[in-house]
Order: sequence, then C-alpha cells, then structure tokens
Amino acid sequence: MTAQQSDDVALRLAGVAVRSERFALGPLDLEIPRGIVTAVIGPNGSGKSTLFRLLMNMEPYQEGKAELLGMTIGPDADESYKQRIGFLAELPYSYEDALTAEEKARFASLWYPGWNWDRYRKLVRGFDAEEANRTKLRKLSKGLRRKVELAGVLAPNPELLLLDEPSSGLDPFAWKTMIDELQRYMEQGDRTLIIATHIAEEVKRLADCVLFLHRGKTLGFYEKDELFDSWRSITVSLEDEGASAANLKRAPGVQDAIESAPGIWQLATDRSDEAEAFCRSEGCRVIATRRMELEDIMGCLIRKEEARR
Amino acid sequence: MWLPIHIDENRPEPLYHQIETQLRGLILGGQLTEGTLLPSIRELAVALKCSVITVRRVYQDLENEGLLRTRQGTGTFVAGVDLTAREGHRLDRVVEAFERAVETALQLQCTWEEMERILRETYEKAKNEKEVGP
Repeated sequence: MTAQQSDDVALRLAGVAVRSERFALGPLDLEIPRGIVTAVIGPNGSGKSTLFRLLMNMEPYQEGKAELLGMTIGPDADESYKQRIGFLAELPYSYEDALTAEEKARFASLWYPGWNWDRYRKLVRGFDAEEANRTKLRKLSKGLRRKVELAGVLAPNPELLLLDEPSSGLDPFAWKTMIDELQRYMEQGDRTLIIATHIAEEVKRLADCVLFLHRGKTLGFYEKDELFDSWRSITVSLEDEGASAANLKRAPGVQDAIESAPGIWQLATDRSDEAEAFCRSEGCRVIATRRMELEDIMGCLIRKEEARR
Repeated sequence: MWLPIHIDENRPEPLYHQIETQLRGLILGGQLTEGTLLPSIRELAVALKCSVITVRRVYQDLENEGLLRTRQGTGTFVAGVDLTAREGHRLDRVVEAFERAVETALQLQCTWEEMERILRETYEKAKNEKEVGP
C-alpha cells in the first residue's frame, strides 16, 4: 500500500535506524496513510516502545529520515508538532506521581490547542474514574491511572494517537469503553491511530493494518484482511502410496509443516489456494483449511526470520 | 445501522468477497430499499471486525455496479434497482447455501443418491412444519 501525496501520509520512515548501546532498531522503511489504524505487534523487546519514543523525538536516530504529519523528526524539529499528537507511553511518568488527575489534565490543557474540558469530563465519567480527580496519581491503582491517562490523550482530539499498550491494567468494562472511544475517534475519518498491543482481540476489532516487529526489524507491514485471507493452516492426509511428506514441504508459501498424527500433516502457508492445489496434485487429500490466529502467523514469521539468521 | 452480514471465517473466499456478495444480496433481495443510508465505512468495518480498506473496496465495487451511490459529506445510500436485476439475483443466496452443503457432503464422501434423499427429506420436513404452523 502506498500513498502518493505527502498529505495522505501520517508517518513515513525511510531507512530509519537507532544504534544505541542498549538497542538497535531498524533500518525501517514504512509508510502509514492517514485515516487508518495500525497495530504494532511483536514480542517484548522487539522495539515497539523505542519506535514510539523515536516518533515523539525522545530517542535520537542515527540514520535515515523520519517524518510525522509532514514534519521531519530530529534535533531541529519544532516541538509544537506534538500538539497534534496524543501519546500514551507504556509506563506512567514518575514525575507526575505527585499530581492529581485533575492537575495533570489542567497542565495538558495548556499545551493542546484542541483541549476540550467537556470531552475530558465525559471520558473520565465513561471510564468510571471520577474518584481519581482529587487523588494523587501515585496512589491510584494501575488500571485507574491508565483510565485517566486515556481520557487525557483523547480529550484534545489530536490528529494522531500513539498508544503504547493502552489497555494494560484495564478491567473488561473499561477495556470495552476504550475500544468504543477509539472507534468513535476514528469515525472522524481523517484521524490516525498507531497502537502497540499484545492483545489479538484489539487487533481484530480496531486495526486496518498490522506491523510486525522482531529484534528491532520489521517482519512485514500488512493490510489486516489480506493477511488473514492469505494465511491458512491446511490439514492434509497422505492417502496415496506415492505421496510423500518431503514433497509437502515444497508446497507454495509453506512456512511450517508438522505431522500431527501418522499420515496427517498440518501446513501453514501464506499462499493457501496454490498450496491446496499443490497438495492435491501430489496425491494428498485436503481434510480442512482454516484461518490462522494472529499469534500463530507471528510465530511462523519469527521462526522463519530466526532460521535465516 | 446494523446489517445482517455474517462472515464465515472458514470459507475460502476472501473477506471482501463475502461481504460484497451478502451486501449485494441484501440490496437485490429488496431487504435494503432505495435511499437507505448505509453505515459509515469505519462503522461497518468495526461491526465486521475487518479493515476500512476492505469496506471501502466493497462500497466502491457496488457503486460501480450502480447499486450504491455516495453523496459527499452525507454518506453512502442504496440506489434504485431495476426488477430484472433483482430477479436475476433472487436465487444467488440459495445457490450459495447449496454449494456449501454439497461441499460438506463431498468431504464426508456422500453419494449423489444420499444427497438427493437428504434434500427430499429436508424439504418434506420443512414443508410439513410450515403447514402445521407454530
């Protein structure tokens, strides 16, 4: 997927790399259009948070060029671009510990031109977090603090939302509220959401595109439905005398082949139609074909990458 | 607005195809009448757990077929459908359901005679139940 005009692009990374002592990220090449939800998924330590910090100009990068909402990120960037972004970090900032939720919101309201107190109060009420208003953030439970933080990033209705594992600590009711609010936010059509998550259900409900990260490298940027349409797990039975398991592994797009019972094989493929036809031509019977779960696809991509290293 | 579109995760057809076929069926079948305002692209995507890219494609395809029209700033509406087109699609969904049934039967090594008997029995049973009434 490419967006031609720079106006249509929310985020553009061209050969962006972070080379610090602790961590190496990239080089990353990526273009995310406006108006869509991108889920960034990957194991712990894959670089999701580093990428977010980079976008917030909190992590210097040594190579390439990163542009967000048409602004080039770097030491010379005009920090005011952040007024157009709602950023929720993975962990709360300890320097805010002594503030109450209300005080934090008052501070944010000075920074964001689009801040709307009505919206903020409605969100806090929606998250059932009004008790947090006059309590110091340090004394709040993890979930309650997360709720007021979410209300805070949504209140200014920014052009772009960067959410790093936003649902961690939320109870199921607050989680549903969050999903609904993010949908409402995206309804506007021109807003962009980039969300790092470990939760497959969030990807299913919210995402349009999926970015896989692993060890600081991208394992692919996919349109979600294309991804789920093309990856299938095929169960085949080796009926014919002539059919051999070795041949199965040569089926188109095969990422994984496991013998689950004598003569019964499970193939994971990202070219399911061709793979099915191939299995039949090899004298196998296709017993079942089913879609794969996100974590299984991710597992395949990681195993393949690890085998290449 | 809620649309009775059901996605079958186990079907081999791509998602956009399933949605497009069913939405076309709803329009040609007359369940969605001329002038009905459809959900926004994001709304439908959320309801079906698919991407806005897919829904946009479906709306675009059906607009090209003359079944939908989009008014800038207002939304996507059902267009007028002529009767011949409607009649031509009347059996589409039935054919699709039969295709699925035959596929299952073949997977379980059903013979033609067995399928015929099952169809006849199912039909008789449904007809009797309808006559007796609830």
